[in-house]
Amino acid sequence: MLKDVKIESRQVGDRVVVQVAGRMDAENAPVFETHCESWISKGINNLVIDVGDLAYVSSMGLRGFVAIGKRLHDKGGKLRVCRQTGLVKQVFEITRLDSIFPPHESVETALADI
Amino acid sequence: MRDSVQSLTLTATLESLQPALAFIRKGACEAGLPETRTSEVEVIIEEILMNISRYAYPQDTAGDLTIKYWIPAPGELRFEVADQGRQFDPLAVPPPDLTLELGDRPIGGLGLVLIRSYADSLTYRREDGWNRLRFTISAGAISADH
Repeated sequence: MLKDVKIESRQVGDRVVVQVAGRMDAENAPVFETHCESWISKGINNLVIDVGDLAYVSSMGLRGFVAIGKRLHDKGGKLRVCRQTGLVKQVFEITRLDSIFPPHESVETALADI
Repeated sequence: MRDSVQSLTLTATLESLQPALAFIRKGACEAGLPETRTSEVEVIIEEILMNISRYAYPQDTAGDLTIKYWIPAPGELRFEVADQGRQFDPLAVPPPDLTLELGDRPIGGLGLVLIRSYADSLTYRREDGWNRLRFTISAGAISADH
């Protein structure tokens, strides 16, 4: 089991797709937030987070999604989340974050929603 | 293993997260919980540990927490997490408004929502200076509130 979080990103025009894999717990969550912040500081206001390979997210991980989502919202941008499965899908549903970040089945549909 | 209580005492800091998760994964395995339920226990224990590490003890004072588990019946795992920090009853915290739009949503506060949803028979008591939070996870149970 991957104990760490692995984050890769690629720019698509004026948007960035951030692929998050592994575990987003209290130890790893700040890495995700810092990574997204670095794109925001470069002027990127629209992010797609691909969580298809994310196996675990705790409330500390959810904080990161809400914090980054709010930052982008304040700048007139958007955060989109795609490919939620298993526990990740479940915690988004329980906390009703799925109503704020509606689940997308693919990176492409998430990009199209920005 | 049935009925015997396993116990682990750790310093309530972020550094104790992985040892705590390894300990409860062992319990989940002994109780025969499926992987999905094990992940839910991890979410609960992480949230409790982080709450204790951040709020229970005065700043710059590292207190302890003790995690205990036992298996009251096959496919059932009962936990107690205890600390000697300031009194905190998570069941008394009003649930956050989950219908708020992003702009109005607070950044935190979702951990207790997850605990309430995943943990069965959740109880809190303050006893001789100890906070004692107990809950049960069952192999076949569907999470209570969703």
